[in-house]
Amino acid sequence: MFRHREKQNELSSYRLGGICSLLEIPQSQTFRIVEIKGGAGLHRRLLTLGFHRGDLVSVDCEAAMRGPVLVRNLTTGARVALGRGIAQKILVEPIKTDEV
Amino acid sequence: MKSEIPEIIFIGQPNCGKSTLFNHIAGFKAQTSNFPGTTVSHTHSEVVWKGKVYSIVDLPGTYSLTPYEPQEKVVLTHIFKEKPDLIVNVIDASLLGRSLELTVELLELEYPMVVVLNMMDLAEKKGIKIDTACLEKKLGVPVIKTVAIRGQGTKELMDCLEKVLADKVAPGHLCYSFEVEKRISELIEVFPENFPVVANPRFTAIKAIEAETLSVDRFFLENNRNFKEKLDEVRQELGGLRQAPAYEVLAVERHHLAMKIAEDCSQVHHARISSLEKLDNLIMHPIFGLFLLLLIFAGMFYLIFNVGSPLEACLLRPWEALRLGIQERLGQTLSAELLAGLIQGIGGGLAIVFPYFIPLLLLMGFLEDIGYLSRAAFLLDAFMHRLGLHGKSVPLFILGFGCNVPAIMTTRILESRRDRIVTTLLIPFIPCAARTTIILALVAFLLGPWWAVGFYFLNLVIIAILSSVLTRIFKYSSPGLILEIPSLKWPSPKNILQKTWLNLKEFIRFAWPILIAGSVLLSFLSFINFDRLVNTVLSPFVSGLLGLPQSLGVTLIFGVLRKELSLLMMFQALGVGYEQLLTVITKTQLLTFVTFVNFFIPCISTVAVIWKEMGKRIALISVLLNLSVAILVSWLVRIVSSFF
Repeated sequence: MFRHREKQNELSSYRLGGICSLLEIPQSQTFRIVEIKGGAGLHRRLLTLGFHRGDLVSVDCEAAMRGPVLVRNLTTGARVALGRGIAQKILVEPIKTDEV
Repeated sequence: MKSEIPEIIFIGQPNCGKSTLFNHIAGFKAQTSNFPGTTVSHTHSEVVWKGKVYSIVDLPGTYSLTPYEPQEKVVLTHIFKEKPDLIVNVIDASLLGRSLELTVELLELEYPMVVVLNMMDLAEKKGIKIDTACLEKKLGVPVIKTVAIRGQGTKELMDCLEKVLADKVAPGHLCYSFEVEKRISELIEVFPENFPVVANPRFTAIKAIEAETLSVDRFFLENNRNFKEKLDEVRQELGGLRQAPAYEVLAVERHHLAMKIAEDCSQVHHARISSLEKLDNLIMHPIFGLFLLLLIFAGMFYLIFNVGSPLEACLLRPWEALRLGIQERLGQTLSAELLAGLIQGIGGGLAIVFPYFIPLLLLMGFLEDIGYLSRAAFLLDAFMHRLGLHGKSVPLFILGFGCNVPAIMTTRILESRRDRIVTTLLIPFIPCAARTTIILALVAFLLGPWWAVGFYFLNLVIIAILSSVLTRIFKYSSPGLILEIPSLKWPSPKNILQKTWLNLKEFIRFAWPILIAGSVLLSFLSFINFDRLVNTVLSPFVSGLLGLPQSLGVTLIFGVLRKELSLLMMFQALGVGYEQLLTVITKTQLLTFVTFVNFFIPCISTVAVIWKEMGKRIALISVLLNLSVAILVSWLVRIVSSFF
């Protein structure tokens, strides 16, 4: 449905199988959080909302006009809308196929 | 000294249904909606169950016991200052793992506690099966299942509370991993004398470690250097365990405990996608969702107008006949004038306000209950950023369509003070139910619905312009959006009706008497010709600048009390009934009048709540801002519409 998004990501590190931010991954695929960058304030807030390193997450959808992304935490079941600036600070990696 | 009545506090993460549960137990006291942060301050109630009195308190939702948002601080103050006799931890059963993180933290307090698994119906729909006996064993506290929205399980809960209070058994805390527990005990040993221990030493030590990067930390440094050194050492060692800050290590400990318990005590079967989830996908769709948003609001006002205007017309007739009959029979005497004023006040409230007010409240209640507000925040976040704000302001603006007062109170959910100030200054420009009544009753009813649509559009454009200007004055980059999107829920008609009734009761108790009194007062003033004096003083402004009939001067002033008052008094001042209005004033005058009333100084209750929440400086700015915008825009409306 969102072709433009995939096209734009052709050369992103996701395609290369490496670590990338929540903004770069395709929708409805499972990734694992490896790092949350940014200050202590943001880090703490995300922790309390149930976003930890090691959690499995997927991006459900994103709002129009470069709006926030809707992130589903598959480990805790929470769904949170994150502004792009914040989503960019959450780094994820693809999960190995045998983990699904 | 503590009173004999046991105090029970309800605590849980946002949107877990605490307030709904509380309302079922306490009768209808707390405002609820499917939007995180509805309860911004605590609600208190006394309940009698089987002949005993309990004092129960509904606290704002909090994700953890380390406060980030202002309403979360309310929770901490309450727990620490007024040590409760019993904690009721309400959990969203469909989000078991994450909700248990707060439970683990609460157990550390070692206060008597009961866990309530709420929203069991939703959990079952999601295919989650929870073994309560297992949960009770792991947590060491009683666990009760409820579906608060239907009142299921509340009796069992009350019985359980009674029993736990009688037994006075405090639970033990759960244990972290060995390495972490060791560091915590080390810290407890070096507690200085008369160290302010909250709840118990272990809890205090954990909170001290977590206070890193928070302002409390400086307090430790200033007060006890030795302790502070040990504290930093512990933090460093803890951090070394996971290559992360110490507060994260503790959070992860709780996370693991919570996940482990959730895994052991629940089974997730693959659930089929419910119709609500399919609907949710449509609502959140980037393009279709925006389209739907527009459709919902257009449809809402179309519905209100179509229900309201025929009702209005048929309700007005008898009152109008009564008023004319009295004037005919009694002539120009004081009693006749006062009686006519009284009738206009009563009839105006009944015939003009109710037809629009009730449908609007019902529809707003519906949107709140299904959980649409946070979705609107998500969809419009990017747009709001262009205006210098962020998506979290959207639900507040939508609430403002109902009434500005609760909307301003809920600005507490915004993290930065700057966002709060700007949003608070903008909310009074949202046409609330009272002003919607005026717009629909005058503009839509007399000029046609499309005029009203145009009016709303103009209103939104003005808010957008003001937002851009204000955010440029208060410069500060807005933090990004972090907002939980709760599951979509089928609304409970009972809940919506109760909420509407609550608002309606406020209207009947406070606003309607003001409308009636104001109407009678104006009759009296006009009988002794005092209104002429006011009108003459205001004449250069009212007739000169705005081109309105001179006699409307006094009615504009009264709008400060209640916005509907201007509407009622207008008929009185012009001496005509509703349907003949356009025979005495022109379309331009009507539009100018409505524009002015709409943007004029917020009603007295709105000013009061701004004062209370944000201080008198902001309240004053708000008054001046509204006044200047009202004058400027209504003058522009006059100029522009005179060309047509």
